[in-house]
Amino acid sequence: MSGNAMIRRFLKSDFFYDFTHAPIAVVSFVVIMVIVTCAIFAGFIAPTNPFDPSSLELMNGFTPPMQPNAFTGDVFLMGADDQGRDLFSAILYGLRISLFVGVMAVILAMVLGILLGLTAGYVGGWLDNLIMRFADIQMTFPSILIAMLIHGVARGILPPELRYEMSITVLIVAIGLSEWVPFARTVRGSTMVEKEKEYVAAAQLIGLNRWQIMVRHILPNVLSPVLVIATITFALAIIAEATLSFLGVGAPRTEPSLGTLIRIGQDFLFSGEWWILLFPALTLLALALAVNLFGDWLRDKLNPRLK
Amino acid sequence: MSDHLLEIKNLKITVATRRNVLNLVDNLTLAVKKGEILGLVGESGAGKSMTGSAIIGLIEKPVKISGGEIWFKGKRIDQHPDEVRGHEISMIFQDPMMSLNPLWRIGDQLIEVITTHMNISHQDAIKKAKHCLVEVGIDPSRMNAYPHTFSGGMRQRVVIALALAPNPSLVIADEPTTALDVSIQAQILDLLKQICKTRGTSIILITHDMAVISQTTDRVCVMYSGRLAEIGITKEIMAHPQHPYTKGLVASTPQIDASSFEKMLYQIPGSMPALDNIPSGCAFHPRCEHAHDKCRAERPEVLSNRAACWLLDANEGQ
Amino acid sequence: MLIIILRRLFQALLVLLLVALISFLIFRYVGNPVENLLGQEATVAQRAALEEALGLNDPIHEQYVQFVWRAIQFDFGNSYRGALPVADLIASRLPATLELALTSAIFAMVFGVLTGIYTAIHRGSFLTNLILSTSLIGVSLPTFLIGVLLIWFFSVELGWLPSFGRGEVVDLGWWNTGFLTASGLKSLILPSITLGLYQMTLIMRLTRAEMLEVMRQDYIKLARALGLSPRQVYFSHAIPNIMIPVITIAGLQLGSVVAFAIITETVFQWPGVGLLFINAVYFVDIPVMSAYLLLVGFVFVIINLIVDLTYLAIDPRLRDSQLKQEQ
Ligand SMILES: Nc1ncnc2c1ncn2[C@@H]1O[C@H](COP(=O)(O)OP(=O)(O)OP(=O)(O)O)[C@@H](O)[C@H]1O
Ligand SMILES: [Mg+2]
Repeated sequence: MSGNAMIRRFLKSDFFYDFTHAPIAVVSFVVIMVIVTCAIFAGFIAPTNPFDPSSLELMNGFTPPMQPNAFTGDVFLMGADDQGRDLFSAILYGLRISLFVGVMAVILAMVLGILLGLTAGYVGGWLDNLIMRFADIQMTFPSILIAMLIHGVARGILPPELRYEMSITVLIVAIGLSEWVPFARTVRGSTMVEKEKEYVAAAQLIGLNRWQIMVRHILPNVLSPVLVIATITFALAIIAEATLSFLGVGAPRTEPSLGTLIRIGQDFLFSGEWWILLFPALTLLALALAVNLFGDWLRDKLNPRLK
Repeated sequence: MSDHLLEIKNLKITVATRRNVLNLVDNLTLAVKKGEILGLVGESGAGKSMTGSAIIGLIEKPVKISGGEIWFKGKRIDQHPDEVRGHEISMIFQDPMMSLNPLWRIGDQLIEVITTHMNISHQDAIKKAKHCLVEVGIDPSRMNAYPHTFSGGMRQRVVIALALAPNPSLVIADEPTTALDVSIQAQILDLLKQICKTRGTSIILITHDMAVISQTTDRVCVMYSGRLAEIGITKEIMAHPQHPYTKGLVASTPQIDASSFEKMLYQIPGSMPALDNIPSGCAFHPRCEHAHDKCRAERPEVLSNRAACWLLDANEGQ
Repeated sequence: MLIIILRRLFQALLVLLLVALISFLIFRYVGNPVENLLGQEATVAQRAALEEALGLNDPIHEQYVQFVWRAIQFDFGNSYRGALPVADLIASRLPATLELALTSAIFAMVFGVLTGIYTAIHRGSFLTNLILSTSLIGVSLPTFLIGVLLIWFFSVELGWLPSFGRGEVVDLGWWNTGFLTASGLKSLILPSITLGLYQMTLIMRLTRAEMLEVMRQDYIKLARALGLSPRQVYFSHAIPNIMIPVITIAGLQLGSVVAFAIITETVFQWPGVGLLFINAVYFVDIPVMSAYLLLVGFVFVIINLIVDLTYLAIDPRLRDSQLKQEQ
């Protein structure tokens, strides 16, 4: 099928119709798209590069939003922080880190979950038992706690000089490892169903690799639940990233994500520089709300049972 | 005052959907006499349960009573159904497995109902509860048992005990035996009938089953598409049905005699219309082999105090 | 009955041993107990002697048994920082966390159940819609952001409530409490709301869903047909039937409250074990992390156990079916 025909078919589908008739879904989707675009093109949109120390003018420190600085005359859309960094630019670059960590963590969780789910469902027996019992136990603890723990362990294993450099990677691994269970459960269930079907035996009879055949049948089956879980996990991952960074064990101050920016902003709350907190907080709020609402809608649409 | 315990006049029950307003029960008029058993029969979706719920005042949004009156013992009750619900009129439902609160001992459920409706001490309530259980054939030593330890038939006995405990004058039984084993069905119906006959309690028995109607009820009311089709003394109707729909129902009922085994059971052709697509005139006319122009054009009224059918119209007959 | 309880206890013990295994592996292999005790400058001989003394050369399963045995006696080793016994550190901070967790769990439970029942009974009313849409925002917001926003509003702008710490604390010897002083109670308000809000919305949604489900049941229909008043129908028939799932979930949430306390304690600089843990992660203080894991694991297992047993006590059907299984 050509790309054009596919798009046309999609536009005619029930799914698209339902989407355009659900205002909450449309609005949250647009918000997500705007945020993602801003993050990807941060380099072009942002007036300054907030990570470049040479572009910072200390005199600009604490300039309120939309008011010219008393000394330099510079105007900042969302004000400047203590070091004279343009907050708008910092938010755009921070978004980029938040989204990057979120996406990578979801991919990690998804790949791991699908692999473990397939293995558990296909091999069965004690291996299945081991994997699923482990999943059960992991699920009884909140994933943010697991992420923190993995984070701490990873930092313990790394030599001290690498801890700083690797902090973004550690963050991704920690969040990814804490979210694989829902993927694995879904894929395992589907695998167990497929395994019993006749084509698997037939494939074996005519000498095909039934494992390969099965995977080819299972993946389309689990596509929509996995998509739903991925969206919801994405929201969780963004919140987890922001939380860890806020707690000071995530993205470092040199590469601030939204959570880091909010942590910095909290320090200036009492001295009256409210904008340093407000704008990153609002951005995170909009992002978290939009992804959550969109995920909810998607879940109701694609897989009402997942509720 | 007439000997009518309950009178329903021109009852109309509707529900508003996005597109239109559906009539679940349409212009239904009937009466229940003291001490009699009235059968309410009709296909699934005919509005039997709705009628029952309306009498006891348990119609829930978005469904509502949008017309007509319900009179009980000379008082109008459709405005204030809670005044009679439970102690004057009570209702039992189809599925006894789900009808009892799983967390309560059956004795406590009985005592709760008794103390709610009767002004007696707790000690007397316990005595009364035991008495109620004996009446429905359950060993009073099982007062402290939980519902899940009873079989379906036993649970329905408990439900009957609950409904009859405050001595109501009318019990609405909505398919009380449908969910039960065939062998137990007759037992439960006999029990209900026997208690009510000795107490003089009236029953409205809702069912699909013409055999149950003919064995149990004094009079019967046949509903079709939310409307009254035919009403009258059960024996007469079973012997000489007037409305073509009733004729079909009676013909489709197996008779307990030798000849019926040789005949094929009759089936009424077609099915009841959807609520949003009720035909003009008589709702039954598309399935009726005697239908003529008037049936298609005008809605029949109840003629000869018996059936809503133009075929009974003397002028038409000639 | 006793057999069921014993079996549950046994399962709980197994999970606990697994948690202990993980925390042992972290303690033994991620951290470096020898360097911890001796410092970087120790000689090779000194190290070898200590390794022997600590039993680090023993077979691994013996070391594990040793670890569990010591943990039972509350010996978790020394913190890397300040070289204090981890057990003492945790003991001194536990009251703060438990008081916070308890207050917010009660807050979440009471308000969650009340709003859940209210919104189920008054479907479609203005207040119901308001509560429901606010709760949607509530679950989407990260806990720390709620905390920060509360501080901003109630501490910075209005100046009504303290923004950090426990206020004045009364020392009872084995326990220090903030419940007995005005400033202690005031300090509890914002952190408890922050910590409890998320669980409250969860409990509310669950209560509402369960309530709507139960209201559709035949026994509710029958209870009304028997002329019981709405109060009787709601309070003696509907609500007891929703309590089982609600207690289960709420109970399980209680464990998360202890875990999520890490975040709230950081926002409000609340001197509890959560703050201790997050500092341990930051400074890679392995013994503290491992002990914290054991502690939280213990709390979770105990809560699960209690929830299971409560469940059994409430629902006669469950009790009987379990007994049958045993026979
Ligand atoms: N909330 C509602 N909205 C729309 N239609 C409804 C609603 N509730 C009930 N109905 C319809 O009302 C009609 C009458 O229902 P009722 O339960 O009285 O039928 P019944 O005669 O008791 O049938 P059965 O023998 O299956 O119990 C049914 O067709 C049902 O689909
Ligand atoms: Mg019915």
